[in-house]
Amino acid sequence: MMPSSTTTRPRPLSPNVQIYRPQLTSVLSILNRITGILLSACAVVLVVWLVAAAWGPQTYAPVQAAIASWIGRIVLFGATFAFFLHLCGGIRHLVWDTVHGFELRSIYISGWSVVAASVVLTVAAWVASASMAG
Amino acid sequence: MIIRSSDQVPRTALFKRFPIPRNFGVSRESRIRRGKTWPAPRVATRMRTFEIYRYDPDSGENPRLDAFEVDLDDCGPMVLDALIWIKNKVDSTLTFRRSCREGICGSCAMNIDGTNWLACTRFISDLAELATIYPLANLRIIKDLVPDLTHLFAQYAAIEPWLKSKTAEPERERLQSADERSKIDGYYECILCFCCTSGCPSHWWNGDRFFGPAVLLQAWRWLTDSRDEAKEERLDNLEDPFRLYRCHTILNCTRTCPKGLNPGKAIAEIKKMMIQRRS
Repeated sequence: MMPSSTTTRPRPLSPNVQIYRPQLTSVLSILNRITGILLSACAVVLVVWLVAAAWGPQTYAPVQAAIASWIGRIVLFGATFAFFLHLCGGIRHLVWDTVHGFELRSIYISGWSVVAASVVLTVAAWVASASMAG
Repeated sequence: MIIRSSDQVPRTALFKRFPIPRNFGVSRESRIRRGKTWPAPRVATRMRTFEIYRYDPDSGENPRLDAFEVDLDDCGPMVLDALIWIKNKVDSTLTFRRSCREGICGSCAMNIDGTNWLACTRFISDLAELATIYPLANLRIIKDLVPDLTHLFAQYAAIEPWLKSKTAEPERERLQSADERSKIDGYYECILCFCCTSGCPSHWWNGDRFFGPAVLLQAWRWLTDSRDEAKEERLDNLEDPFRLYRCHTILNCTRTCPKGLNPGKAIAEIKKMMIQRRS
């Protein structure tokens, strides 16, 4: 008689995330998570910046210099985009909670709208702040 | 690209899988090895190569990915036809479930080119040049493309999918108005192929306790049936951080349903009903 292999070795698990095709649905979901985590980290940076400002000019200057550096600006630009993506994604989820927009076509239209709105709002925020800074 | 119905096949060649290592988080016994290449029995003009997941429990070896050359002029138009052709003409040990060949039994659900669908209702001409076929994602594999569905059916049983009534049995059938009947449209058609549950990332990570889209759609089918009188009891059973609320509205389920149903919407309806009964 053949030895029962199922008793000697566990059945393999078929691959999931390793092979499943990325789709707008899953990609926006994971981006919502990632931006949420990034924004939590950004909240810490915001606190550091505010504490430095409260501490006095000598503490504030290096923090402000770091933020105004090229790397600082790139990070800040990314944070702005993360903020808007998370915000728009959150609004999309609020609409879903009222059981609206569940037709597949609506899901894709709202998904791409979130991406487009985040890009537009990010650029608009930077143009506005640049013009205010003069 | 705007997807209008779930039967639209994704066309983009870019970004076919998430940029993570192939063995990311994969246990030792589940790692997939490169298998062998099976040439077609005779040279043909129109050929297509299928990469198919193989697992033989009797060999004691890991799963492998075999390549099969299929003669498209000698084979029917659907993916299931190609599998049957391979089984008949190349390797008779290739194992898969199939029955109705017309999308009503749900047996031949599998992962075709990265998304879950029924092999009998997917055209070979819609596949990538190098077509890949895996079993339904995230399930224990019995052999080749046959996954163990025991856990999923146990989850289905846990929602008690039958009519429950408290009032005395009527003389004849339980009547329903046309309007009441229409409420279960889009839900009663579910064939339990589990394409959605197997494509749900939340179910991948928390499938031991999260019911998953197929079972929750069935739960809603009974919650919204005017003849059913166990609404409170059903909601109590679902009111749980895992069973219902691990759904984060990713909506891979609605994207992949081969019957064009909307499990994501059904789950949102359950969540709304939960809120409404509290107020």
